[in-house]
Amino acid sequence: MSASALHPLLLLSDSALPLGSFAFSSGLESFLAHNRQSKATAAAKVHAFEEFLEQSLTNFSSTALPYLIAAYREPEKLDLLDNDVDASTPCTVARRASVAQGRALLGVWDRALASSTSRDVVAQRAAEQLTAFSVAMKTAEVDEYGMQRNGHFAPLFGIVCAAMGLLCEDTAYLFMLNHAKAVLSSAVRASVMGPFQSHAILASAKLQRCVQQCIGREEGHLPYDTAVTTPPIDLWIGRHELLYSRIFNS
Amino acid sequence: MSNPFLIATAKPGHGTIHLALLPPDTPRLRTASYQYPLKLVSPAATRSENEVPKLVHTVYLLTYGGGLVAGDGIDLSVTLESTTRLILLTQGSTKLFKAPCRDVLSKQCMNVHLAPGSALCYLPDPVQPFKSSCFEQSQIYNISVPEDGMKDTANLCVLDWVCNGRPANGENWSFFRYCSRNEIYLCLPEGKRRLLLRDNIALDDYEQQDSIACRMHGLAAFGTLIIHGPLFKRLGQFFMDEFKALPRIGGRKWDSGSESGDEDVDTTTARRIARQRQETADGLLWSAAAVRGCAVIKFGVKSVEGGKRWLKNILAEDGSVVREFGERALLCLR
Repeated sequence: MSASALHPLLLLSDSALPLGSFAFSSGLESFLAHNRQSKATAAAKVHAFEEFLEQSLTNFSSTALPYLIAAYREPEKLDLLDNDVDASTPCTVARRASVAQGRALLGVWDRALASSTSRDVVAQRAAEQLTAFSVAMKTAEVDEYGMQRNGHFAPLFGIVCAAMGLLCEDTAYLFMLNHAKAVLSSAVRASVMGPFQSHAILASAKLQRCVQQCIGREEGHLPYDTAVTTPPIDLWIGRHELLYSRIFNS
Repeated sequence: MSNPFLIATAKPGHGTIHLALLPPDTPRLRTASYQYPLKLVSPAATRSENEVPKLVHTVYLLTYGGGLVAGDGIDLSVTLESTTRLILLTQGSTKLFKAPCRDVLSKQCMNVHLAPGSALCYLPDPVQPFKSSCFEQSQIYNISVPEDGMKDTANLCVLDWVCNGRPANGENWSFFRYCSRNEIYLCLPEGKRRLLLRDNIALDDYEQQDSIACRMHGLAAFGTLIIHGPLFKRLGQFFMDEFKALPRIGGRKWDSGSESGDEDVDTTTARRIARQRQETADGLLWSAAAVRGCAVIKFGVKSVEGGKRWLKNILAEDGSVVREFGERALLCLR
């Protein structure tokens, strides 16, 4: 990897990137509430969590990765991709999470990253599209179907990575690893496990293998092929609104 | 059915349903043609239970043997002209039989074109994939955008659900692969179209035994109900209200509510409480979302019977489906 790509990669993988990802547990909180095991041992809890994490990664990759890759490769299709992600997310809570992080990323791009676009021609093209999208979002214009732009996370993340000069493979891996980090950090805050144990999972070969498997499965998939692969996760995320008490927004 | 003769281009598994509108206001089933292994049966049209009853046509989608053998393909095209109403029904679950290997796929495609003001009600039995089956299906709904805005758009109440196979034979999500695609497109007159809703589900065992069962977390059936259009506006709102009224998860029940003895609960509340009790007993979880002019209801349940009971009860509670289409629309949920 060239030094110039390493720098933005580290930037975008940093948990200090102000996207507010810490506010979303991607269904973990609801999963815990639906599968309350008061008598379970700590080991059993961690085991159930690890299973959840693997399924969450699989489901996240099958629903979001093709959109991310498509936006990376064809930035001029951003409007269409944004509409299609919105159409494929028929769940209030998941939509809220995706749109909140997408808009935050757009804000970070506008205010912080736009001036550091990679000099590469492809990256410049992505940056132009991104800036145009950002302007169009602000004017809130509707298209001929009466629909508005939403600013969903997956395609925007793909195009930001393209504009920063990251490789496509790195972008996919980064996206998946960031998701794993977000779920693990919510697990710590939801007291499923301690920070060391969570980091042990994050560092493990098992998680690396799982992320690679998820990316491998989506190879060659187009946005048309996105699908839910773990239906109960959809239910849990949708039912997050029914929790009596909440510490996360999803 | 104007042409009783076999069309020369007819291919196996292909079928066409065309519900035409005879001016000024008489719908007529112009075409219901089919080729083996598909069979279409259209009983006499019934009338809806509105104040001004509308003629509602019904077509049963059948396959010889009650299901699809590996390699079978069904390709059905449905056209609804302006203001016509159609009920599609199945007769029992669609069985998917064992495939010799992962590469032999059975397929079912349904393409529906809906003109402004038309309405489709499709509440089928669940798809039942047997052990080692391999199946893909797609239901594509193309809605023509009316010229005077979305006020008079087409109406949809469509269900897509799948169960875990034959639990009595020890099957529990034991198939190779099951994919189902539900898409609604908005179509402009000049041929452009835009995705309004996509709900795809892909269950693949990734060549590991029991991996799907593990991902289904004890559910025996999972489904999505999609509602769209002004005719079902109240139905969509009803689902949203009922979803909001579900008891909070993890909340303490501070008062038992029984001490005061006989409370005044109106019939709506009483029915709601009874249904929620049944939901708990059947292990049914559901969620509802109102997005992009559609209501999308997802549910998972521990038995197919429980799923049917819930769907039938909640649709009957609201009453829109029976009013607009008649009792026959709920036939598969009995």
